[in-house]
Amino acid sequence: MKSTMDPFHAIADASRREILILLTKDKQTINTLAGNFDMSRPAVSKHVKVLYEAGLILIKDQGRERYCELNPAGLDEIKSWLTFFDQFWNNKLQNLEDLLNKQADL
Amino acid sequence: MQRDLVIKWHFPHPPEKVWKYLTEPELISQWLMKNDFQPVIGHKFQFQAKPIPKMGFDGNIFCEVLEIIPNKKLVYTWKGGPKPGVIGLDTTLTWSLSPEGEGTRLVLEHTGFKGWKNYLASIFMEQGWKKGIARRFANVLNEME
Repeated sequence: MKSTMDPFHAIADASRREILILLTKDKQTINTLAGNFDMSRPAVSKHVKVLYEAGLILIKDQGRERYCELNPAGLDEIKSWLTFFDQFWNNKLQNLEDLLNKQADL
Repeated sequence: MQRDLVIKWHFPHPPEKVWKYLTEPELISQWLMKNDFQPVIGHKFQFQAKPIPKMGFDGNIFCEVLEIIPNKKLVYTWKGGPKPGVIGLDTTLTWSLSPEGEGTRLVLEHTGFKGWKNYLASIFMEQGWKKGIARRFANVLNEME
């Protein structure tokens, strides 16, 4: 289950990328989306589910229809990179400082 | 969206000494990572880090030296991705040294973070999608910010 939550896994599939491209134009129902593919509606629905679980799209009920749209928040992993590298560089620079201090003691 | 990381550090050692640890491969490997750095503009080198699959990063960091001012400034690119040839993280490191008292003030700027929209755009490009589609997609994503 965990792998389907991974946005990178989610876009590794050509059909799912196609769905994302279609959604850049406008929000669409699963039926409308399915009209663009040769595969069955349930197959499209399965792809939509993967994209949803990866946080890439939102699914909203509107009247009797379910609409899919791009999730702006899911398309932004910048925070995790910044947090990661902030920690990373602080650790590494501490290494460097320790190393320099050790050299000075010799 | 594009934000930068700026880290400032003081070392109680002169810039010349700190510079050595930024530009000699064996010394760099002692505190940062294994590498094949050379202080030559245009030199391409790599670091080997731990993979982070969740963030689409296989652990290979590809770099190219852009600027060198001995004892003062070193700039190189810092790129990585989920597999060879696919770049999601396309950033730049700028190391600036200046004397501070008896020691050195280091300012490290890690710039160019664009999030994984970058990765999306690059994967579309790589897999031979029509350039127009990739560009349109990138544009739409940018507009959402």
